[in-house]
Amino acid sequence: MDEKRSAFFTIILLSAILLLFTAADLIQKDRIFSEAENKMLATRPKWSWDALLEGKYTQDYEAYLTEQFVGRDKWITIKTYLDMALQKQEINGVYLGADGYLIEQHLPGAYTDVQETKKLLLLDKLVKRWDAAVMLVPTADNILTDRMPYWAPYYDQAAFLEKAAVQIGADHYIDVYSALRSHSGEEIYYRTDHHWTTLGAWYGYQAWTKFMGRRGDLYSKNAMKAVTSEFLGTLQSKVNLDVQPDSIFWFPETAGRPVTVTYDLKDTRNSCYEESYLAGKNKYGFFLDDNHALVEIETDYHNGKTLFVIKDSYANCFVPLLIPYYEKIYVMDLRFFNGRLFRFMESYEPEGGMDVLVLYNCIHFLEDFIYLE
Amino acid sequence: MVFSSVVFLFRFLPLFFILYYLVPGRGKNIVLFLGSLFFYAWGEPVYVLLMLFSTVTDYFHGRLLGRFRGKGAAKAILLSSVLVNLTVLCFFKYADFLIQTINSAAGTSFPLLALPLPIGISFYTFQTMSYTIDVYRGEAKVQKNLLDFGVYVAMFPQLIAGPIVKYRDVESRLHNRKAGLEAVSRGMKRFCFGLAKKVLIANNVGELWVTVSEMSLREMSALTAWVGILAFAFQIYFDFSGYSDMAIGLGEMLGFRFPENFNYPYISASVTEFWRRWHISLGSWFREYVYIPLGGNRKGRARQLLNILVVWMLTGIWHGAGWSFLMWGLWFALALVLEKLFLGRLLAWLPKAVGLVYTMLVVLVGWVLFSLETPGQITGYLGVMAGMGGSLADADGFYLARQYGVLFLIAVAAATPLPGRVVGELRKSGTGAAIALYRFGEKVIPAVLLLLAIAGIVDASYNPFLYFRF
Repeated sequence: MDEKRSAFFTIILLSAILLLFTAADLIQKDRIFSEAENKMLATRPKWSWDALLEGKYTQDYEAYLTEQFVGRDKWITIKTYLDMALQKQEINGVYLGADGYLIEQHLPGAYTDVQETKKLLLLDKLVKRWDAAVMLVPTADNILTDRMPYWAPYYDQAAFLEKAAVQIGADHYIDVYSALRSHSGEEIYYRTDHHWTTLGAWYGYQAWTKFMGRRGDLYSKNAMKAVTSEFLGTLQSKVNLDVQPDSIFWFPETAGRPVTVTYDLKDTRNSCYEESYLAGKNKYGFFLDDNHALVEIETDYHNGKTLFVIKDSYANCFVPLLIPYYEKIYVMDLRFFNGRLFRFMESYEPEGGMDVLVLYNCIHFLEDFIYLE
Repeated sequence: MVFSSVVFLFRFLPLFFILYYLVPGRGKNIVLFLGSLFFYAWGEPVYVLLMLFSTVTDYFHGRLLGRFRGKGAAKAILLSSVLVNLTVLCFFKYADFLIQTINSAAGTSFPLLALPLPIGISFYTFQTMSYTIDVYRGEAKVQKNLLDFGVYVAMFPQLIAGPIVKYRDVESRLHNRKAGLEAVSRGMKRFCFGLAKKVLIANNVGELWVTVSEMSLREMSALTAWVGILAFAFQIYFDFSGYSDMAIGLGEMLGFRFPENFNYPYISASVTEFWRRWHISLGSWFREYVYIPLGGNRKGRARQLLNILVVWMLTGIWHGAGWSFLMWGLWFALALVLEKLFLGRLLAWLPKAVGLVYTMLVVLVGWVLFSLETPGQITGYLGVMAGMGGSLADADGFYLARQYGVLFLIAVAAATPLPGRVVGELRKSGTGAAIALYRFGEKVIPAVLLLLAIAGIVDASYNPFLYFRF
C-alpha cells in the first residue's frame, strides 16, 4: 500500500510540474524584447508547406517556444546559479572576478595576425594623413589581471598594442596601457559594465596631456562627484545576477562654462551630459547622450583650436574632459557613418588645421574600426 | 523531436499522454502510432515516408515468411528483406562515403549525393531486420496486425536513438498491455534522471569538449588534451545513456519493458567487459545476428578472431560513414583479440585497478578516433596526450580543470553504481529516519532534477543531438 501511495504522489508531483508550466506557457502572451538578455525574442514562424518540408518551420517553432517560454528570465537565472554552485567562474562570456568584478571575456586567438595587421594599416593611413594621435584603451581583462579567475585566458592586448605602437610610431601613440596598468588597484573599470570609469578616463586624460604637452592639472580626481549609485551595466545583463550596482562619476568643472552641443546636425543642447539617462537602464548614456554618428561641441574657450575625434563609446566619458582645450570638438562614431571619411573631415577642417584623435578600446577597434577614405 | 526540448516536454508529452490514457483499449495503439509519426515527422517531414516504407515492406516480408515457413522460398524472402533494409541504410548512410572512397582511390570525380542522413535510420532498420530474421528462425510469431507492427517500429521513445529493441522483447505487449501505477511512477522518475544526465551533465561537459576541440593543437598542453577527451567521454556516455534512460522510462509509462542499454561501462576492468556494459542492445544485436551466425567461437580460434574483426568493423561503420569510425571499430577489435589471446588472463591475475586504467586508456584513445575526423587531427591529438605537444600543463589546462572540476567529480560519481548503492543501503537499513529520508528523496530528487533540467533547456545555448550521424 505504501508503495502504491508513494508511486501516486510521484506521478502527481512530476505531472503537476509539467502540466502547470504547460498551462502557464499557453496562457502567457509573447514578449517582443528581453530586457534581461538585451535582444529581440523569436516570434511565431509563418506557416507554409515549403518551410515545413525544408524542416525550417519546426526548427523556427522550437526556437520560438524556447525564447518565449514562461518565466524565461527566471529559468536562466536558475541555470546561472547552478553553474555558480558548480564553481564555474565564467558565465555567458563574462568572468566572475574577485571583489564583485564582472569582466568581459575576450579569448586569445579571437583575432588573427592578419586581422590585427589589416586594422593597423587602416589606422596608419589615417594617422599619416591627419597627423593623428591614437589612444587604444585595453579592456578590463588585461588590466585587472589580479581580479581575474586563476589561469583565465585572455586576448593579450599588450602584445597587440606593442605592434600598434611600432606601426604608427611613437609620435602618434599615446600609451594608455601603462597609465592604467600602474593604477590597476583603483576603480578604473566598472564592476557591472564593460566601460572604463570616469577615473579610468581621467588617467587616460593624464596620458593625453603629457603626450600633447598641455597642462594636466585642470581637474583633481578628488573633485569627481557621483551622479548615480545604481548603475547596472551590460555585463550584469549578460549574467543576470544580483550584484552590487556601480556609481557613475563626473567632473562638475567640465560643465563650468557654457557649451553648445549638436547631435547629428539637428539636435542642439547646452550640455554634454544627459541626466534623463540616469533614470533608465542605460545610465552610461549620461555621457554625450549615448552614441551618435556626429557630435559637435562648441565651447566657451575661444582659442581657435579644433579637435576631431574618431571613437567608440569609451570616448564618451573622456571627451568632456577635453572641453577647456578646444573651441570646437567634433566627435565621430564610424559605426553610424558610411560616407567618405577624409572628405568629410576636410569639410570640417579650419584654415589653420585641426588636431585629430582616435580613441577606441582595443576590442572595439579590432571589431568596428573601418572607413572609406 | 528531441526529448530535451521545450516542444517535447511542454507540448507533445502532456498532450500525448493525456490522449493515451484517456483513449480506451485498442485505441491506445492508434494514439501511439499517430503520435509517433508526428514526433518523427516534426524532425523529418520528408523521411517519415521512408520509415513508413521500411515498416510496410517488413510487415509484408513477415507475412510471406509466415506463409512459406519451412519451405525453400523462406530463405529468399528473408534475403529480400535483409537486402531491402541494407540497401536503404547503405544508400542514405554510406553512398557518399563510397563515392568519396572510389573518387580518391581511382582519381574519378563522381558527384556526391549530399543527402542528409534520416534520423534514427540505423536504429529502425536494425529493429525491423530483427523481426524478419526472428520470424524466419521461428523465434517470433508473424505479426498480422499492421498497426501493431507499426507501433513496434515507429514507437517514439526508442525510434531515433535506441535502445534497439528486438521484436520478440516486446512482442507480447504490442497488442495488449497495462501500465500500472508503480510502473508509470518508475518510468517518470527514470525519465527525469535521464533528462538530467543529458541536460545537466552531458551538455555542460560537451561545451568543454567544444572549447578544447577548437583549440590549436600546436599550443595545446597534455593536460588540456586529457581534460578535453575526458569531457568527451563523459559527454557521450551521459548523452547516450541519458537518452536510453528517457526511452526506457517513457516505455514503462506506456506499459513496455525495454532492455537496458548501459550498465556503468566506465567501471569495466577489460575492454571485453566494457562492451558488455556499453550500448548493450547494439552489441547483442551484432552478437545474435552476425557474430553467432558467422560461427562465433565454435569454429576454432582463428575463425573466432576473424569473426571479432568483422563484427567490430561493422560496429565501427555503424556509428558513422567514415574511415575514422572504421579505425575506431578496429582499435577495439585489436584490444578484444589481444584479450582473447592472453591479455584477458593477465588482467584477471593483476590487481583490478590495472584493468580499470588499461580499459580507460583504450576507451579514451578510442574516443579520440571517434570524435575527431581527419588522420592529422587524430594523430596530432594523440601526440599531445602523449606529452609530445608544447607542454605537459599550462594555464589553459589548469583553468579548464578548475572550471569543470566539480562537474567532473559529479560525473565520475554518477558513472559508477555508488549513488545507487548508497540509496539501496538507506532503504534496506530499516531505521525509520532512513526510510523517511528515502521516501522523501525518491519523490523530491526527480522533481528537482526535472526543474533544473528545464532551466538548462530554456537557457539552451548548447543542446546538440549526437545521434544525427549514427
